[in-house]
Amino acid sequence: MAPTKKISLPEEELVRKLKSKDTTAIEALYNMYSAALLGIISRIIQHDEIAEDLLQETFIRIWNSSDSYDNSKGRLFTWMMNIARNISIDKLRSKDFRNANKNQGIENNVDFIDAQREITFNADTLGLKDMVTALKPEFKIVLDMVYFKGYTHVEAAEELELPLGTVKTRIRMAIIELRKHFN
Amino acid sequence: MEEPRNYIESGILEQYVLDQLSDQEKVKVEEMAEKFPEIKQEIADIEFFLEKYATHHAVSPSNNLEDKILVKLREANITTSHLPKKEAHIVKLNPNEDQSKIRNLRIMLAASIALLIPACIALYSAHNELGLAKDQIASLSLDKEKFTSTVSQITKDNSYLNQLLEMKQDPNWKTVNLASTKSDAQSKMTVYWHTTGKQVMMDNSKMSLPANDSTHQYQLWALVNGKPVDLGVFDVKPDTTQILIAMKDISSANAFAVSLEKRGGNVTPTGDQILLMGGV
Repeated sequence: MAPTKKISLPEEELVRKLKSKDTTAIEALYNMYSAALLGIISRIIQHDEIAEDLLQETFIRIWNSSDSYDNSKGRLFTWMMNIARNISIDKLRSKDFRNANKNQGIENNVDFIDAQREITFNADTLGLKDMVTALKPEFKIVLDMVYFKGYTHVEAAEELELPLGTVKTRIRMAIIELRKHFN
Repeated sequence: MEEPRNYIESGILEQYVLDQLSDQEKVKVEEMAEKFPEIKQEIADIEFFLEKYATHHAVSPSNNLEDKILVKLREANITTSHLPKKEAHIVKLNPNEDQSKIRNLRIMLAASIALLIPACIALYSAHNELGLAKDQIASLSLDKEKFTSTVSQITKDNSYLNQLLEMKQDPNWKTVNLASTKSDAQSKMTVYWHTTGKQVMMDNSKMSLPANDSTHQYQLWALVNGKPVDLGVFDVKPDTTQILIAMKDISSANAFAVSLEKRGGNVTPTGDQILLMGGV
């Protein structure tokens, strides 16, 4: 596990290279983050081929809109993650995707979360069991819906029939648990 | 320091990191982060642990995907560095194209009209000229008819004149000049008689007789041993063009005479009507 400090310096360099359209920045970003981004994308879009297409689209958008990244406002990963999520959510909500995947519409996403977890176990076993056990299911499901499924807080609240405040709290609790776990 | 803690615990920072806030709300969070370092730190922590969470849920892409992306990016790189210019071109070019199309169409329209006007003028003048040509053809064909009739008349005249010439050269043709029997009249006539061939011809060109009316005709007689022999009737018209008129044959004659008789002629001449007389 790479410590925070080691990443922070290369990140500045990465950002500088990215903004100056140096393709080595993309190579580095790909090596460091492609799997994490694909993890997010492939949980929103449960179709390997389309998910990889969207990852490609994500890197192209990262490349093309590098000017819009402001490192004073947040981490590079957060920015990239939100690009990946937005692209994936747009795809999920697009007509062509919904028509092609009628049984996997947004209504059914919750059912897929558990199934997806199984796949995740197989795909990336490192540290995963620990983490899954570390997160209480009621926190994890809300976090996953918002983080991995493209739900807004409001949508998650409606889906889970919970007050919006509870959704916010559970996401917060999930983060706190993650913090405990990773620390 | 209650405010930042409550703010942190409201869960809005997680929403912020997860891009769930409106632009206005984001600005507010950023303002708060600037104001309170613990809020800024909390955001950084949330980001960090969400990144960790994502990293633990990572799914490795296919081996060739990186190359595909890099190829795409290099293409996109070329495109991005050239795109603004190219796009500006395309944006400019399209209206230009339309405008030039419109301009071309206008020019074509103007040219069509410009061509149409002389075409109409040409058509009109052609129509006029055609009418003129028709008139000319009509007048020419009339001329031709006149000419043809003139030529046929001249041909006829020529044959008569030739005949006359032959007659003059032939000693067997006798020329008999008939003069008026009345002292006050200017009438006269010439008759040619072939003594062996018996033919009798009147020379119209040398005839001077008043025109007869529709109920009367002139009658030519031969006087043979004091007796008149009918040689046929003839009309005298002011528009007669025939030069030589053949009459009945006679084998012998002492003189020729012309009388005015009823139409169709008489068997014997009416005595006081003999107008011309000439001895052979």
